[in-house]
Amino acid sequence: MDKDTQRKWDSASRTFDFFSFAEDRRLGAEKQRLFAKMRGAALMVGVGTGNDFKFFPPNMHVAAIDISPKMLERAAKKAPAYSGTIDLREMDVCNLDFPDASFDTVASAFTFCSVPRPVEGLVELRRVLKPGGQLLMFEHVRSRIGPFAILMDLMTPLSRRAGPELNRDTVGNVEKAGFRLRRVENVYLDVVKAIEATKDDAARL
Amino acid sequence: MLFAIGDYLAGIVIGALTALAIHAAVWPGMDLVIAVLLGMAIGMVLHLVLALLFAPLVGIFETLMPASLIGTYGGMLFAMRDAMAAGSPTLASAAAVGAIFGVVAVLGVKIYSRILRGPVLEVGS
Repeated sequence: MDKDTQRKWDSASRTFDFFSFAEDRRLGAEKQRLFAKMRGAALMVGVGTGNDFKFFPPNMHVAAIDISPKMLERAAKKAPAYSGTIDLREMDVCNLDFPDASFDTVASAFTFCSVPRPVEGLVELRRVLKPGGQLLMFEHVRSRIGPFAILMDLMTPLSRRAGPELNRDTVGNVEKAGFRLRRVENVYLDVVKAIEATKDDAARL
Repeated sequence: MLFAIGDYLAGIVIGALTALAIHAAVWPGMDLVIAVLLGMAIGMVLHLVLALLFAPLVGIFETLMPASLIGTYGGMLFAMRDAMAAGSPTLASAAAVGAIFGVVAVLGVKIYSRILRGPVLEVGS
């Protein structure tokens, strides 16, 4: 377990809902559209305080993990409002306590900006996905637009102290982890993206 | 609609406060390179603080992206203008120019975001 990351997000849990209040309302419909594709046995990675439960399709059974116990405490209060069942567990995405090929869908929202070793985490997700299983990610990434890209690089040393990194190449990392990209959609500028990928047996590391 | 108004309001406040802070820190005749670097530094710090204040109200990304343009690139422009004594003579006019720059930056980002919106990769399943 990465204790530094755990401490950082335990600390951020106090203000997480406050800072994500407006973002949830502005981007919620887009998240819901992406997560509507969840099917079968599902895993939500980096569940945070559980703000995304309301975007899940109804009546699913979702295993939901986070590295921060404080985040999970808050998520536990929101889980009963979901029509299906949510199994909350404290876990590091780089070391998942699930057998190989356990899930049909793995989902994440604004998570891989904060995983210290993102490719390692994505490889682990690929391990727990069944062949043909899908990865649904709603993530922010480094812009490819010059003026924004420079600023995101400059701001990242500051942003990573309290929260996420702003200059991650998450789309590239998904490919590096051996997934086959199926769909990538820009939601806000080229910074917030909906990413869909599959575990394709033909794609190897 | 309320979020759109909030976006422009945030741009106006960040632009005006950045222009005022730089107007106070940069004097006519200041070395242009120093002035631009100082303007960039002031703008970067200020926009991060102000973006944090607006983020819970209008959204983190919708605040941070235009704010970074206003603070950093606007900060450099305002500093250049003040160092060359080509700027606004009064605080009110400096703030007004900053506010206008803020509105233009927010509008530009909105238009650009709309252009970029949509699938960039789609593979048949």
